[in-house]
Amino acid sequence: MDILIYGVVNSASLALMALGFTLVYGVSRLPNFAHGALYVLAGFGAWLGMNRLGLPLIPALILAVAATAGIGALMYRFILIRIRGMAISEIIASYAIGLAILEGLRWGGLKGGTFVLPPFAEGSLEIAGVVVDYQRLLLIGLSAALVAGLYLFISRTRVGLALKGMAQDERAAMTLGIDSDGMAVVSMALGAGFAAAAALILLPLGNIVVESGYNVLIMAVAVCIVGGLGSWTGAVLAAFLIGFAQILTVVHLGAHYQVVVALSAIIVTLIVRPSGIFGKQKELEERV
Amino acid sequence: MKPDTKNMRRERLDRGIKVRTDSVYAVSGWREMAYLAAPRLLLILGLLAAPLALAPFPYWQKVVSIVCIYSLLAMGFDFLAHFVGLVSLGGAFFVGVGGYIAAILNTELGLPPLVTIPAATLGGALICTALFLPCLPLRGVYFAIVSLMFPLLAARVIEALDVMGGTDGVLGVDGFSGKWTEMYLPIAAVLVLLFFLRRLVNEDLGLVFRGIMDNDQSVKASGINITTFKAIAVFIAASMGCLAGAILVHLYMWAGISQFALDFSILPIAATVIGGGGTLVGPVIGCLILVPVSELLRDFGTLRIAVYAVILTGFIVFKSEGLQVFGARKYHQFEHWVEM
Amino acid sequence: MRCLGRKTFIVALVGLFFMLAGVPAAPAAEPIVIGAPLATAFLYGWDAQRAITLAVEEINAAGGVKVGGEMRPFKLEAIDTRDLEPGVPVSEALLAVEKLILEKKADFIVGGPVRSEAALAAMSLLAKHKKVSILTTGALTPKYHAMIEKNYDKFKYCFRISGEAKWMVGGEIIPALLGVGKKYNLNKLFIMVQDVAHGRAGGALIAKIMKGKGWDVVDDVQIYPTGTTDFSMGLLKAKKLGAQVILIWMDMPETSILLKQWYDLKVPALPFGSIIAAAEQPGFWDATEGKGEYCLANVVNAGNAASEATPLTMKFFNAYQKRWNIEPEGYGTSSSYQAVYTLKDAIERAGTLDSDKIVAALEATDMVGVYGQIKFNPKNHQVVPSNDPKEGAVGTLFQWQGKKRVVVFPESIAKGEILLPPWMK
Repeated sequence: MDILIYGVVNSASLALMALGFTLVYGVSRLPNFAHGALYVLAGFGAWLGMNRLGLPLIPALILAVAATAGIGALMYRFILIRIRGMAISEIIASYAIGLAILEGLRWGGLKGGTFVLPPFAEGSLEIAGVVVDYQRLLLIGLSAALVAGLYLFISRTRVGLALKGMAQDERAAMTLGIDSDGMAVVSMALGAGFAAAAALILLPLGNIVVESGYNVLIMAVAVCIVGGLGSWTGAVLAAFLIGFAQILTVVHLGAHYQVVVALSAIIVTLIVRPSGIFGKQKELEERV
Repeated sequence: MKPDTKNMRRERLDRGIKVRTDSVYAVSGWREMAYLAAPRLLLILGLLAAPLALAPFPYWQKVVSIVCIYSLLAMGFDFLAHFVGLVSLGGAFFVGVGGYIAAILNTELGLPPLVTIPAATLGGALICTALFLPCLPLRGVYFAIVSLMFPLLAARVIEALDVMGGTDGVLGVDGFSGKWTEMYLPIAAVLVLLFFLRRLVNEDLGLVFRGIMDNDQSVKASGINITTFKAIAVFIAASMGCLAGAILVHLYMWAGISQFALDFSILPIAATVIGGGGTLVGPVIGCLILVPVSELLRDFGTLRIAVYAVILTGFIVFKSEGLQVFGARKYHQFEHWVEM
Repeated sequence: MRCLGRKTFIVALVGLFFMLAGVPAAPAAEPIVIGAPLATAFLYGWDAQRAITLAVEEINAAGGVKVGGEMRPFKLEAIDTRDLEPGVPVSEALLAVEKLILEKKADFIVGGPVRSEAALAAMSLLAKHKKVSILTTGALTPKYHAMIEKNYDKFKYCFRISGEAKWMVGGEIIPALLGVGKKYNLNKLFIMVQDVAHGRAGGALIAKIMKGKGWDVVDDVQIYPTGTTDFSMGLLKAKKLGAQVILIWMDMPETSILLKQWYDLKVPALPFGSIIAAAEQPGFWDATEGKGEYCLANVVNAGNAASEATPLTMKFFNAYQKRWNIEPEGYGTSSSYQAVYTLKDAIERAGTLDSDKIVAALEATDMVGVYGQIKFNPKNHQVVPSNDPKEGAVGTLFQWQGKKRVVVFPESIAKGEILLPPWMK
């Protein structure tokens, strides 16, 4: 029972971490390696909002999400747009930007283990003999809500449909009058916003440290690759796969194999089926 | 003052001497020969003279050795990425494998560096090639990501299984016997391998490599087994990385899991971007700039990583051709405005 | 434009000339350079740097160090080794040590490198350059002084003035565990450690000894990779198996998550930190919003939390607080401060800066320090530990009670008793 509940919690947090990354890649084919940095930035943003500007919790959170989304959009509009389509340059440049953000934060004195965000709800309850705290339950609910919200946004609204069109066939979308770069900016903003939302939901469970930026990036990449780069349903399913695999490794093998499992999952998936379990297989683009 | 350039365009013309030295007339006179030899001699003699010139600053002599270690990695990256089409983000894996082999051969069997370095270079390259073999069919981003995972996984596996010294590393490795061997071995390795690679890419083998990069399907259609050739290329790059790792181990008398650290993958790539990809010399120039700059910035703590990340982003976005290509163009050509 | 450019250039040149000419004007005695290779972006780096700075300032204000009839000041050259950052090779830290020795002309090395892989790797380098070094923070591995003992002639320049894991387990943690077990009738132990060499070894050793003492060690030692952010599975297991004490050995900041989860899940077991970096810091209370109350932590040496081990303990504690507006934070603070004074003492007795003579002088050290009587074992250069401040260097275990860090072990310096969380009764 505890494996089931904490497996779901772990999977939901992985899905949250990966959602923003897969959204950006799905729409604009941009591997945003600054994802982890945006995650940490949002955490510190909210902390600064609460402790330096003295805002209450909710406005601080909204401000942090908006600011991070804005930074994501600016990053694309002024820097990444120039190297669009050169995958390797995109990886290097976005990783370098992420590095600059993370190390800049550290240099700015935001280091050590003393930065925390308050949880939305205190306390815990017991389900079938397993104690779960409210924040974790909220985490499951909120991540489900975010996934559902994203789904509705993509399939119901005009902008969402445009994004979907871009993801399916960029040229065809352009001939139909969809502004490709504009949409990419929107997708970057959304992706950064999702990274921020993930941070604000997950960080109250622990504390805000710069190092977690690197971990979040690795986990997001792992989930997206196993699920198939750019596939949203794939990412959610892969989050569950890896999430449960990790919990089971902790129980049966020992916690120190956790990361080994995630990394091996990436390597095996890439070798066997580069587009992941749910990606569209495009044999010739991926391997010869 | 710039002229009104609305209806004009810039035209590039080869300098006369460049035209003259393109053919057999290159050896027709001192001027022509000097024109061709000057930039090459500048690098070779510059590198050879560096330890002597820096004799009053022993610390900077060390930095030269580190520059050479990173240069080996960067040349390997450039070779794989721009001549074979395999973008490997796993340079640290080669360093780690080579380093551990050298350290273990030295501490367990008591072999001297003279034996361990070649053994680590060849043995390590074989191991790396064997491990990379299943990933070789992958293309583009997929190969890049899988190669990025290799060093991360290797470090975690050593940590989890607690083998080969675990997180403490392998200690008590022998250092180099003499001060001058220590300084000139890395420099010699860089110069020899640079020469070797520049020859290689113009041989038949190099042509096949470039064919694979440009259009692997048609190479395959010509009845050439491209996986074999990719494996050969990985072997060459891996042996350079393993050599770098083995030298590093004997230089600092230690091997540990941090040899799989991301810096060994990232810094050579940054150097290639700054120096100019596809030139083989560019990465060396990039290292000659980046490593000392990073040392100068050391007093600023973590800010220096941020600074260097900004430099890297700037180069990749605004000046992606790199310094070597830019420099070569200025050396060979001049530009002027013409009416359209 | 061009003209102006040239003018500025000339002005700059002239300025530079004057600056260069101005520098060698200082008439005072040549300073003794202390090189401090530290991971300055991390707790165990910056607290050591602050402590060394404080000691250097105090000594210089009092006139400096007497070397063969001449008073010479100390000069601190701290350098960032980055050795605790992920993704950075240890060669970076080694290059930093070499920079201190070769370029900054450090006469002595005090402080790190912090990470044990780097500290051990630096030993060969120090031997090569024959530089006396006093390790004060970070590395606790017994391998350090074992290597000195095994190859004394090569590694004799290395000293360690802070604690080491074997004594901490055998001399402090085990007696403290037995004490609390006897007092509250507890005997079920659950062990959670971080996946680093000292964590694994420490966890296994404690498990073995406690089994021998008749305790029930429930389940295997749980090993967590560095950077883990979820400990709920382990805590649930502890709860299910009826553990009464949870022994924690982790030096990553995420450990505060463990304590928050421990509180949220109301695990009925006492969190006993042997090494627990997160809980050492005064900021821990705020970082866990008070959920970390009742957690025990080991800060290796007295003086890192308020106690009266020797007359110097509170003097250091208050001076540190006054200078930096914060209590000493991590476990490398009092030892880093003490190292500078010990070095001064050794230099004055040797009357020279010659490495071999300083080694001999350090071996003969016998002085009252911040955390007891400071003596080095002449065979392996490890500071002699004890539970009595008159005999040797004492450690400190404290418990978070209210917003305070209350020292509870060893008894000779204790300020209070170990309490159990209310949900354990």
